Amino acid sequence: MTHEEIEESVPLYAAGALDRTERQTLEAHLLSGCASCHSALKDYQSVAALLPLGLGPTSPPRALKATIMAGRNPAPIPAEAAPNEPARPSLEPGEWMNHLFPPVAPARSWSLPWAVGLATLLIVAVGGYLAWHFATQRSVDTSNIQRLEASLQDKSSKLADVHREVGNQAKALAELRNEMQQRMNEAAEAKEQLAQREAELEETRVQLSQRGGARTAGTPQDELATLLRIPNVKAVSLTGSDMAKRAAGFLLYDSRTQKVWLYSVNLPECPAGTTYQLWAIHDKPMSIGTFHMDRGETAHLLVMKVPSFTDAKTYAVSLEPSGGRPQPTGPMYLLSRS
Amino acid sequence: MDKPSRHATSMIDPTLLALVVKGDQQAFSQLYDHSSTLLFTLAVRILGNHEEAAELLQDVYLEVWRKVSRYDVGRGTPVAWLVTLTKSRAIDRLRARAARGYRATSALEAGTAAQFADLGPSPFETQADQELRIAIGAAVAGLPQAQQQAIELAYYEGLSHAEIATRLNQPLGTVKTRIKLGMSKLRDGLQQCWNHGELQ
Repeated sequence: MTHEEIEESVPLYAAGALDRTERQTLEAHLLSGCASCHSALKDYQSVAALLPLGLGPTSPPRALKATIMAGRNPAPIPAEAAPNEPARPSLEPGEWMNHLFPPVAPARSWSLPWAVGLATLLIVAVGGYLAWHFATQRSVDTSNIQRLEASLQDKSSKLADVHREVGNQAKALAELRNEMQQRMNEAAEAKEQLAQREAELEETRVQLSQRGGARTAGTPQDELATLLRIPNVKAVSLTGSDMAKRAAGFLLYDSRTQKVWLYSVNLPECPAGTTYQLWAIHDKPMSIGTFHMDRGETAHLLVMKVPSFTDAKTYAVSLEPSGGRPQPTGPMYLLSRS
Repeated sequence: MDKPSRHATSMIDPTLLALVVKGDQQAFSQLYDHSSTLLFTLAVRILGNHEEAAELLQDVYLEVWRKVSRYDVGRGTPVAWLVTLTKSRAIDRLRARAARGYRATSALEAGTAAQFADLGPSPFETQADQELRIAIGAAVAGLPQAQQQAIELAYYEGLSHAEIATRLNQPLGTVKTRIKLGMSKLRDGLQQCWNHGELQ
């Protein structure tokens, strides 16, 4: 709409002949501050407001004043306190006078142009608020995302630290295992060396014994106790036969020293002219040695040195004539469990 | 006719409204006396019915009593404010009535020019009101009837130019021109009174 068209609509506005859209267009134009249209409207509205004064007067009913005076509230309600009317009429007092003079103070009447102005202000305010709200929300969202990203980075960093720590601990554990394995190897080596040293010591004792007959290294019981601490000694247990059910025996063979130890218990006393003889049986029986059980003797330790003994599968003790025999001839008293 | 018509309606002092704002009952009574005839005349002109005009006037004055603080002297004379309020409420009633399917027939179809044609002095009017009524009546009566009719349909029945064009079965541009020319002539005709300070 051109300014000329708007200007031409001013008298129609004053007469109340514009439709809503045209009214709003003109009011928006007036609010924009067009001085010439303001001036024109001032003239036309002044004319319009005076038109009823030209009508032939008609007096109201006499009773109307009394009715009105009686119907008032005790006091007029200030504009600020006036209750909002649910359905505002299409026109308000002062509407046609709104542009008689440029407003110098905030409008106190709710004329349509000012309502439009206020509505525009409200729209701007709401728009501003929405923009602000959107911007704020976006800012908050951005802030949240940044915070979450920072948190994620922090967590990732901590996770990497944990991984590093776990790796270090695994490494330390592996080192510990290696160290432990090394220590175990050293211990085994030390144990072996110890056994070697003990064997050498035993050998020395035997040699000393053979040379001087002196029992400086201790009794056979001491040797047996030493022998029991050596892990690679072959051990065989023997049980009593029907001839001596209560009898039992325990045989040890130390390959390093090539010595056999037989510890027997509860064998019967040897009758006169007899002796017990120990046999190692591989393909054929081989005599290892003889020993004698005297009256009242319940346990006997036989220690013999034999060159080859490990191949034997069975061990036995028989009762033989004194001095022994090359092959077993008498009854068996002890037999190994094969 | 009694007291009201002896007050100069066109000369209502804005300070009277200021007193009403403060709850001055005497001032309110005076305001009624000054303005009720003019407003009742306007209401009857628009509604075409004395009883409904009286109801309307009751509503208008009670609204004036409640909302008088909204009056701003900087925006117009007290009379202009009261006229505008009354006219607005009357047209609201007219539209509500139209929405209910009822059409006023008495006002316009009785011949609008006749009401302005009654320019004879009333024995109960003040001199100022009488002169003003004559001046305005003359200005309106001086318009071509087509222009006068178009203005009255807009002013007293609240019709838009499009509705007037339909009612009168005239082109829209013609109706616009009639209103525009009529208003210009009224303005020019009343310019002298305006310049002399008779119209405030």
